[in-house]
Amino acid sequence: MFVTTYASDESKIFPYPVNKVVLENGLTLISIPYESPGIVAYYTVVRTGSRNEVEIGKSGFAHFFEHMMFRGTEKYSAHAYNDAVKKLGSDANAFTDDDWTAYHLVASSSALETIMDIESDRFKNLKYAEEDFKTEAGAIMGEYNKSYSNPMLSMFEKLQDAAFTTHTYKHTTIGFLDDIKDMPNQYNYSLQFFDRWYRPDNCFLVVVGDFDQTKLVDLTKKYYGDWKRGTAKRPEVPQEPPQTAEKVISMTWKTPTLPMLAIGYHVPAFNDREVDIPALDVLSQLYFSESSSLFQKLVVEEQLVDFVDGSYQNHRDPWLFVVLSRIKDKTNIEKVQNAIYAALDEAKTKPVSAEQLANVKSHMKYQFAMGLNNADAVAVTVGNYLQITGDHESINRIYQMYAKVSAEDIMTVAKKYFTKENRTILTLTQEDSK
Amino acid sequence: MKTTIFLLTIFLFMSTALSSSMRIVEMRSEKSPIITFRIQFRTGSINDVKGKEGINAFTAYLIAQGGTQELTYKQVIDKLYPWATQIDVVADKEVTTFIGETHRDHLDNFYKIFSDLILHPRFDVEDYNRLKEDGMNYLKTTLRGTNDEELGKQAMQGMLYENHPYGWTNVGTVQGITATTLEDIKVFYKTNYTQANLTIGIAGGYSKGLLERMKKDFASLPEGKNNVVELPKANPINDLEVTIVDKQSIATAISVGFPVSVTRADKDFYALMVANSYFGEHRTFNGVLMNKIRGERGINYGDYSYAENFIQDGGTRFMLPCVPRRQQFFSIWIRPTKPEDAHFSLREAIRELKKLCENGLTKEQFETTRDFLMNYSKLWVQTQNRRLGFELDSKFYNTEFFVDRLEKELKSMTVKDVNDVIKKHLQFKNAKVAIVAGNANELKEKILTNAESPIKYASKVPDAILEEDKDIVNHLLNINKGAIKIVPVNALFEK
Repeated sequence: MFVTTYASDESKIFPYPVNKVVLENGLTLISIPYESPGIVAYYTVVRTGSRNEVEIGKSGFAHFFEHMMFRGTEKYSAHAYNDAVKKLGSDANAFTDDDWTAYHLVASSSALETIMDIESDRFKNLKYAEEDFKTEAGAIMGEYNKSYSNPMLSMFEKLQDAAFTTHTYKHTTIGFLDDIKDMPNQYNYSLQFFDRWYRPDNCFLVVVGDFDQTKLVDLTKKYYGDWKRGTAKRPEVPQEPPQTAEKVISMTWKTPTLPMLAIGYHVPAFNDREVDIPALDVLSQLYFSESSSLFQKLVVEEQLVDFVDGSYQNHRDPWLFVVLSRIKDKTNIEKVQNAIYAALDEAKTKPVSAEQLANVKSHMKYQFAMGLNNADAVAVTVGNYLQITGDHESINRIYQMYAKVSAEDIMTVAKKYFTKENRTILTLTQEDSK
Repeated sequence: MKTTIFLLTIFLFMSTALSSSMRIVEMRSEKSPIITFRIQFRTGSINDVKGKEGINAFTAYLIAQGGTQELTYKQVIDKLYPWATQIDVVADKEVTTFIGETHRDHLDNFYKIFSDLILHPRFDVEDYNRLKEDGMNYLKTTLRGTNDEELGKQAMQGMLYENHPYGWTNVGTVQGITATTLEDIKVFYKTNYTQANLTIGIAGGYSKGLLERMKKDFASLPEGKNNVVELPKANPINDLEVTIVDKQSIATAISVGFPVSVTRADKDFYALMVANSYFGEHRTFNGVLMNKIRGERGINYGDYSYAENFIQDGGTRFMLPCVPRRQQFFSIWIRPTKPEDAHFSLREAIRELKKLCENGLTKEQFETTRDFLMNYSKLWVQTQNRRLGFELDSKFYNTEFFVDRLEKELKSMTVKDVNDVIKKHLQFKNAKVAIVAGNANELKEKILTNAESPIKYASKVPDAILEEDKDIVNHLLNINKGAIKIVPVNALFEK
């Protein structure tokens, strides 16, 4: 067992001390004392998401599997698990994203042992009948249906499908519709999926709040110490070749909607040691935040759109910087598109002022600090960086990189990534709109 | 092991009535580097001017997303941006709340802008034009077009409160927004943004000096008079009154509701919360509805019920504070199902409600639900911002802090109390049902004729469920055949 303690350090953005314990089976426990009297947030982070859905026909499986994790074990049936969670009065749920899956509870500190008992049990001993598996597939279809009336889901399906040729980011987390419909037939694959990914060397425990560290470590050894390392082969995620030509696609929508425009530029994977991603994050603020010239022009002054945004979301593999806008009138789509290109061209050629850069860096710093306003928020923030790099110190490193981003860096990344051949453009319009 | 969450308060609660008619709610915590403001006016969509439905929300947004007399909207954004502070507004039926939160490093500068927005709004014509279009687009495209779940809920509430001051969306109607001029908004502001309607909420690490300054600053508002609109009773409902919203859709969303005569001000409400939590606690597997419809049958993503108006607060699963109402309703939300499963799901929900009304809870069901709420409710107030919001709500209802009151009531509650309250306030025969469907005519016919609604499963299901299904597929719904109607989606929210 390896134990490390990182004291809080005022030079770092993350203000709390962090304890790190690695069990012999590879499971890492990250625990963070936080002033939330009597309350603890408990996250199990699995470094597997829709990115790992490599095999054909299996898109959406990581998310589906998240649902199956609530279907019980021999010791605690699904009902027994729910009863235990209910008895604790905890706020318990799970979510899946492109790169990770997280299972989380917020509950009384005095419930910690019960939580560790029921959580470890399902990660080690999940067992469900094929009938339950098929029934849960219906709930996935329901989840797809609930989101379907919003065109955003379909837009991202189309955008990712077009922008990626090889990498699994080609599909969204919920998966291709045909694969969702086929899920009831994938019981055997689900067993393989569990064996492959739900292993201690692929997971983190993140505990934040009011707890006793010694007791927490003892309980971790007690409940997770016998969890076996994974031996199944984990398929490599195919890497995306560079895009060499602009892709332009469009789609229509049958029910009332304003036109929408999405432009995706290929950008690298998250990296907290090189300047590209930090510079793109700062650029996102400079050119697409509410205080940017583009937002002011399109939303406030000319009032052509009701929102415009451009940003990169942290990903383990090369992903997209996505510019998204909803346009009030179909005849203005091209005008808006050109305004976005003009802003990105300006980013390539015109150095931003020291004051602009300082404002953005101040904004990012305060936004981060103010967001850590409860144990759950701290846990999910730490979990997010852990799943990307495996190291919670990435939080501090990325903010140290933000502080170093220069006007020159902004221009360099703008020139490097915001090129015609590197982008995929998608427009959505209402089917019968004039 | 029984575990209990204790609510350890680090705040000093104070509530002050001043010589003026404004009220102050304070939650001071010197350690907190964050300062939260919730400035609430007793004005809501019930105060909308006839023919200008939406003017309350329009005014509120024009204040929160506009400029001050000194600064344009752009200048306000530029000033706030480096501090990462944001100003939000929640404009509901009875109150409108401006929410600001800042780090203490910027408190003085932030307060100046925040208070100027409310006390000295710019009411710029360009901001007016922008927000008018946003409001119209929300009704015409977002609500009618791209959010069937919210559409169903709003349609149901519209039916529930027809010809009642709660009868239109908080944002208003298409015609109401169209008719509202900038001059109308200025008049509305002068009439309703008064000391008599004002409650100042503040929490965190602020100084006493700031509070004194606030009292003085907000005393510049006109004294005004309390303009609480008298509410008539909601119309009586005869049987199940069904409206099918005809809209192209691949799935069918269902909302069911009826008025209840209790609010957080009433003792019975807390027993009703227990009954509701057992029946359909929001986004958990605790509820009967969730277990029966999703858990056992995999029909959809979720099925819940509510003892009062419920809006989820962002990405949490907790209720949004600062949307209090003097009249409440009980509701059931069935998330979108495949069209062929909609009739079955409606039947199952009503059938389960009938069972709840007839059988109530067992002692064990009561105890586990009570214990759940005792702990879960402590999690509703994990941030000072939400806590301050619930404190304001308690002032509205003229009762003690919501979470404390709930705990107190739960401690003395018995299963008989809950079952008595179910008998008194819940029923399954008379309700408004809103269904958003792509097969409106077919569904109407099935409901009208009480046609059998068989269900197909992807796999073998336990015999007990199949047995139960035999009862559900023919369960007789108490449909008001004369009231069932199909409404094209574009007719909703028009006037």
